[in-house]
Amino acid sequence: MRIQVFAVLKDFFKKEFELSANISNIADLRRYLSLENPNAAMVLNRCRFAVQDEFVTDQYPLTGDEHIVVIPPSSGG
Amino acid sequence: MDVITKKELDLVALLQQSHCPTAGAVVLFSGEVRNHNSGKQVKYLEYEAHTSMATKMIDEILQSARTRWNLSIALAQHRIGKVKITESAVVVITASVHRGEAYASNRYVIDRIKHEVPIWKCEYLEDGSKEWGGNCNCHKETGDVNKHVYEFEVL
Repeated sequence: MRIQVFAVLKDFFKKEFELSANISNIADLRRYLSLENPNAAMVLNRCRFAVQDEFVTDQYPLTGDEHIVVIPPSSGG
Repeated sequence: MDVITKKELDLVALLQQSHCPTAGAVVLFSGEVRNHNSGKQVKYLEYEAHTSMATKMIDEILQSARTRWNLSIALAQHRIGKVKITESAVVVITASVHRGEAYASNRYVIDRIKHEVPIWKCEYLEDGSKEWGGNCNCHKETGDVNKHVYEFEVL
């Protein structure tokens, strides 16, 4: 799966990267990323996730082919 | 018009496009970069967006406002990249028969943009440091990153 991150998450991860780990859903992905980089855990807990430009829940199943966007809390305006 | 743009926002041109025979009220909100935040001196801001999602979400928010307040015009544009002090980072224009709907809908649009749309600001401070700032913190109150406390509902 391809992971894309934005804003403050770029301080912790590459802007885009491939992940080949066995990850079954968004909740797993959130946990995996938090373990990879514990300093990002607090932000990751507040992030929304999107697949194909649509927000998805923690239960959303992943097959490994998805493009997943990790979206920190908004701060536009 | 690109909803998300790297170019300077042309408020005058946008207002000029927003006159309408059915509208007795036009409200323009410009969110501008100020030189201080939380007691710190701000040099400039850099905005970034997930452009495809942000564009789609702003379009949906504008459509929702048009329907809810029966607006003649609803438009919004958000800038990304470096935005200097006093420059406009976001503009929302609403036009309606009477001013009540124009004010209320304008507030609704900007509040939803700020809370929901994937756009982020990074503050570059006078002391040389930078901070990703001004995040939506509603989850602390609602316990859910998808549920927000909107100013237009509280006021």
